[in-house]
Formats: sequence, C-alpha cells, structure tokens
Amino acid sequence: MSPTILTALNLHKAYGPIQAVRGVDLHIQRGEIFGLLGPNGAGKTTLLHMLTGLIPPDQGEILFNGHLFTPEAMSLKATIGLVPQELALYPTLSAWDNLIFFGRIYGLRGRTLRHRVEAVLDLVSLRDRARDPIQTYSGGMKRRINIAAGLLHQPDILFLDEPTVGVDPQSRNAIFEAVEALNREGLTILYTTHYMEEAQRLCHRVAIMDEGRIIALDTPRRLIQEMGEGFIRVGVPADQQQAFVQHITPLMGVHDVIRQDGHLLVRLQEPLRTLPAIFQIATTHRIPITTLQILEPDLETVFLQLTGKALRE
Amino acid sequence: MNLAASIAQIWALTQKDLKILLRDRTGMIVLFAMPIMFILVMSVALQGMFDVGSADHPVKLLVVNLDQGALYLNQEEMHLGQAIVDALDGFDGLDIVTEIDGQPLTRERAEALIADGTYAMALVLPPDLTQQVIDAVSGSAPPAPITVTFITDPGASSQLTAPVLAASAATMNRTVAYAQAPYRIRLALEHAAAELPPEQRAWVAPIAKALIAELTTTYNLGDIGGESEIRIETETPASFQVEQLPTAVEQNVPGYAIFGVFFIVGVLASSILNEKETGTFRRLMAAPLPRSVLLLGKLLPYYLVNVIQVALMFAIGRLIFGMNLGHSPAAWLMITLATAATATGLGLLVAALGKTESQISGIATLLALTLAAIGGMMVPTFAMPPFMQQLAKISPHYWALQGYQDVIVRGLGWQAVLPETGVLLAFAVTFYAFAVWKFRFE
Ligand SMILES: Nc1ncnc2c1ncn2[C@@H]1O[C@H](COP(=O)(O)OP(=O)(O)OP(=O)(O)O)[C@@H](O)[C@H]1O
Ligand SMILES: [Mg+2]
Repeated sequence: MSPTILTALNLHKAYGPIQAVRGVDLHIQRGEIFGLLGPNGAGKTTLLHMLTGLIPPDQGEILFNGHLFTPEAMSLKATIGLVPQELALYPTLSAWDNLIFFGRIYGLRGRTLRHRVEAVLDLVSLRDRARDPIQTYSGGMKRRINIAAGLLHQPDILFLDEPTVGVDPQSRNAIFEAVEALNREGLTILYTTHYMEEAQRLCHRVAIMDEGRIIALDTPRRLIQEMGEGFIRVGVPADQQQAFVQHITPLMGVHDVIRQDGHLLVRLQEPLRTLPAIFQIATTHRIPITTLQILEPDLETVFLQLTGKALRE
Repeated sequence: MNLAASIAQIWALTQKDLKILLRDRTGMIVLFAMPIMFILVMSVALQGMFDVGSADHPVKLLVVNLDQGALYLNQEEMHLGQAIVDALDGFDGLDIVTEIDGQPLTRERAEALIADGTYAMALVLPPDLTQQVIDAVSGSAPPAPITVTFITDPGASSQLTAPVLAASAATMNRTVAYAQAPYRIRLALEHAAAELPPEQRAWVAPIAKALIAELTTTYNLGDIGGESEIRIETETPASFQVEQLPTAVEQNVPGYAIFGVFFIVGVLASSILNEKETGTFRRLMAAPLPRSVLLLGKLLPYYLVNVIQVALMFAIGRLIFGMNLGHSPAAWLMITLATAATATGLGLLVAALGKTESQISGIATLLALTLAAIGGMMVPTFAMPPFMQQLAKISPHYWALQGYQDVIVRGLGWQAVLPETGVLLAFAVTFYAFAVWKFRFE
C-alpha cells in the first residue's frame, strides 16, 4: 500500500467571480492527522467539498490510493467519511434513528449495522441519550453525533470540517479524545479548523490556507520555529503611530510592523536585543508607550507573519 | 452499485422521510386533518344542495306560465310557454310545479312561496312570449331580446340554482329555435322565388307549402302548441343531463382529497430545502449514493403519502357518508397514481425554483389554493360561468376531479378515465422535466 492515501493536484474552484480555491496541491500520508488551518473564507470547506466529491473542481485532479476520484466513483466514496461543517442531522429523529439511516445508506444492515451504531455512540460517549431526538441535544452533543455519523462505515480517511464550532469545553475534549483514539487505530484524518491551538495539539502536519492558496505546510513545531518567533505588541496613541512606525522601521533587527486592533505588532530578529533601541526612540521623540507585550510563538503568530492578518478577528 | 443496493437505499430514504413526516405536526394537519375536516363540514353543510337532479331528490322549480299563445304560419295556434314547461318537465332531476292547490300559479303567489322558503326558484314566462318569438322571426317588430324572468331566493346557493338556470335556458332556446324553423324556411324560399322569372314564381308557393307541411309533421313542429309530444329530450346534450351531477359527498370527498394531495407541494419542497440547508444532502452526496437514487428516495415517500391520503378520504366518504365508489378500482387507481405524480412533480418544481422557506411556503400555498379554486374543488365547475368552466381546465385538480367523478358519479371503467389520466401525466411529465432541469442539490 502506498504511504500516500490522498493526492490533490492543482485544484481550482471559482464561484462566479470569487476564486475560492486557486491551485492547491496536497499529499496526505496514511495514518496522519493533517490540519487545514485558515481564516473564514480561506477556501477550506470548498477544498474539502472537492476532495469528498460534492463539487467537481474547475481544474485539477484527486487521487485516492492512486485511483482517480470522480463524484461517480461510488466504490471510492465508500472509503471516505465526511463530517460536514453544518449539523447534518435530522433534528426530529433520535440519534439512533439518524445513525441507523446513514448506516443503511452505506449498505450496512441487521446486526452489523446495530453494532456499528453502538460502537460510534460509545466513541462519542452518547449511548445513553441515543433514543432522544437530536433537537433536545446541546450544541456539543449534536457535534459529537455529527462526527459519529461519518464513522459508521469505517472509512479509510475522515474529513472533519470545523468539528468544534460552537462547542462547550467538555464536548470539545470528548471530540479531541475521539479524534486521537481513531487516529491511534490507524484512521487518516483531515482536520479543518480556524483554531490554531487545535491544530497545534492534534495535527502531525498543518497546511495554512489563505485566499484559496496553501501558503505554508509543515509540522506545527517547525512552522513555529521558523516563522512564529519574535513578535511584540506595542500600544502607542493613535495620532503618533505613524511617526513611531517611521522611526523604528530603519532600526537594525526590525522585520515588519503590522497594525492590528489599534495596536502595532512588530516582528524583531531578537526581541531582547532590539527592545532597548525601541524604548530609546520613544523617549527621544516623546512618544508614550502605553502597553508592551512579547507574544508567545504559536501558529497564530506564524499566520500573522505570513499574511499580516490575524486568524480570527 | 447494483440494483438491489439502490432499492435498499431508496427504501431507507423513504422510511426516513415517512418517520420525519409522522412527527411533523404541521405537515400532518395540512395533509390529513384539514382535508378530512373540509370533507366532513362541507358534506354535512351542503347536504341536499348538490342533489340537483338525482331522481330521488328532484329540484322543485315553480313555473308561472302566462303565455297566451299566438297564431302562426297556417293560422294554427301556438303555445310556446306550454312547450317549454313540458320540455322542462322531461328532465329527471327537475320537478316542475305550475299549479298550487289546483290553481295556476301567479307571479305574486310564486314570489310569496319563495319568500317564505317553501320553494327556492321560479321561472316566469311572459304573456306575449309566443307573439314575441313570431314577431322576431317574421321581422314585423324590431328585434329585441325576449325576457323570461327567473326568480330565486337570494340565499339560495348558486350550486343549486346554476344548473337549473342552465337547463332552463337551453330548453327555451331549443324550443324557440324549433318553432322558428318552418318560418325561416318559408322566408328563404320566398326570397329565392323573387329571383325567378314571373311565370315560374307561381310554382314556388305550392312547393313551399308542401315542404313546410312535411317538416312540421315529421318533426312535430305543428304540434308544439298541442300535446306534450316533443322530441327535444332525446336531443338534449349530455351536459344538460342534470341527473349526472354529483351529490354533495361525491363533490366534496374527491374534491378535498385532491385539495389535500396538492398540499404535498409545500411539504415536499420545504423538506428538500431543509436537507440542503442543514447539510444532510451534502452528507448523502458524500456517500456512495447516486444522485438519481437520492432523488427517487426523496420523492417516493411523498408519493406514497398522496396515495394514502386519497385512500383515506375515500374510505371516510364510504364509511361515514355511504358514498358510492363506482365499479372500477383500476380506474380509481389510475387517477390516484397520476394525480400523485402531478403533485410530487409540482413539489419538486417548487423546490427547484424556491430559494427560501418563506418563498416556498408562499408559492406552494398560493398554488394549492388557486389551482383548487379554479379546478372546481370548492365551487363545482358546473356552477361556474362558462368562462370559468374553460379556465378550470388549466388546473390539474380539474382533471383529477373529472376522473374520480367518472368513476364514482358516472360509474365508468378504466377506459373512460384514459383522457384524464393522460392529461394528468402530461402535467406530471412537464413538471418533472422542468424541475430536474432547474434542480440543484447544493
Ligand atoms: N456556494 C457558494 N457560492 C458562492 N460563493 C461561495 C460558495 N461557497 C463558498 N463561497 C465563497 O468561497 C470562499 C471560500 O469559502 P469557504 O466556505 O470554502 O471558506 P472556509 O475557509 O471554509 O471558511 P469558514 O472558516 O468560514 O468555514 C468564500 O469567499 C465564500 O464566500
Ligand atoms: Mg468552512
């Protein structure tokens, strides 16, 4: 078996004038948790929909285990699991009825079907509530059933589209544990999120997506080491910001200055060495520094570095 | 994907939607409770009103015949008023009353009887009716409409009076046309004779006389004023066969069953929109489930619900009102299956065109109510003016009701409902073709 389970080559998708995905290449390895991280509108869901055959790409190809994937390739579809971003469940039916239904669509029946339903209910710890209608569940419980429904047919690869949106901490943990348990059993997972701490905790590799493109791809640790360090956040009165930026930009060791939420984000080669010079300039030009914070390096600062934007506004 | 797997998927989809529908209170009310309520209320409320024409419940019509007759052609006396009375009397469903307590009716008496509710309507034939007809044809008076008065209780339902009015008008026109025929023939011959050379004109008069004499004897025209031996009845067009109109139950049971069936349009369309919006369609499309199978599985449950609706409504008609079901289950089934196909097709079309829940429920309710009203579910078409009777044909409801009434009112078999089934299937195919063309799963 090839170590690459999913290959995407030069995928493009436009909705009218909106270029949602513009030239994405991916190679997902069997057994990994692969994170797709990006802000709202980055094109994560659109990419996932192409990878799961919901929409055809305008350009490019998708291969599962080396086989060309098309929306008509039913046998390949049986090997993938999708957990949509929405709560794709029937709210008036019980969790049990929902899962039995989706299982039947995948061709399961009889005792096998019942065992699978029980197994996925156990996985998300909701077996005791299984007979209640979905509409009586909390947001987090609905999310867990949403995930369970994508696992009934024991797929080789699972696509999770923002599985923790609107979820309480308890459910969030249950979801993380379920994802990790599934991965330990060998399931390949493609995990979409705009919470960088999730990607950092769960994913073996992360692709950072913005405006339809993958702009960085590596293990979280390497991304952070290479691009996440050295940010400070400086508070300066609004009318003096421009002057301040002009004075510090030529300084040795100052890479970038980004304005964000009325603050200035400055990336420095070595913060401890450059900070005194910055204070010096502020004093000389009588610019008061109201706040100063050294940011802990993480995927958020990596994203800042790459795009000059925050992941979440 | 093999066929067995597809069938299993369609069945899973069907059971799922039936389960959801069973829990959907609004849907169940609209599809079942509302039509049943209408059938019960309307059938009880309108009892008797529709029994126009059944031999058991003839409609009573007062006729005040003031016509004094006149001399015509061969100087014979003619009484068109009496001829009309006799012709009307020939209708099975009409009971003509010209005398009360042995006294011929007067207009005042008739009005009093209607006012106190003893009778619902009266026809008043004017004293110079025959004279007016003769004058009109001989040209001795300027042409003017001949006025016959129809008096009704203003509270009487038009469902009751309209067919009687229609039957009276048709009968009078026919009687008058027959009476005028010989005169017109003579005028035509005299006109032709005027063109001939003078020496030949003399020959025409005896020929004309013989021809008219022959016509009047053969067609009994000379007898119009005499015995009631008029052949008009046998020539009555089918639409005036009053005895074949439905009773209140025979109108309301199929009428409101069809009415209810088309409420599936809104239920089906919003269910499809729901699946798009909640993302369940997306989940299903990621599964090894061909889109055609998904669509079939989405339609079948609603189609089945339609068949159950009709069966239930007819069962109520039979069990509660003792409604006659006719002799042809095959014909009933043909109409039912074709009607359900039309309704689900329209539902899919609305789903394909509507973008939001409020759009869909607006369009669906508007269609369900307008098509039902136009098609004669609420007010039967026979009580509508001719223009509306034509308009009714654009509504699939109309064809469905005609089909059911062929079966239960007229006792016909499957061959007789082929035209209605055909029209309904044509509606269905059109709806489906257009819907599938416009439909998006996203
Ligand atoms: N069906 C659609 N029709 C038109 N535009 C669309 C459609 N789906 C997505 N888009 C647009 O494509 C772009 C990418 O959207 P997409 O949903 O893929 O982003 P995302 O990364 O999943 O965002 P989020 O984090 O908010 O889920 C956005 O600009 C969006 O407005
Ligand atoms: Mg998304």
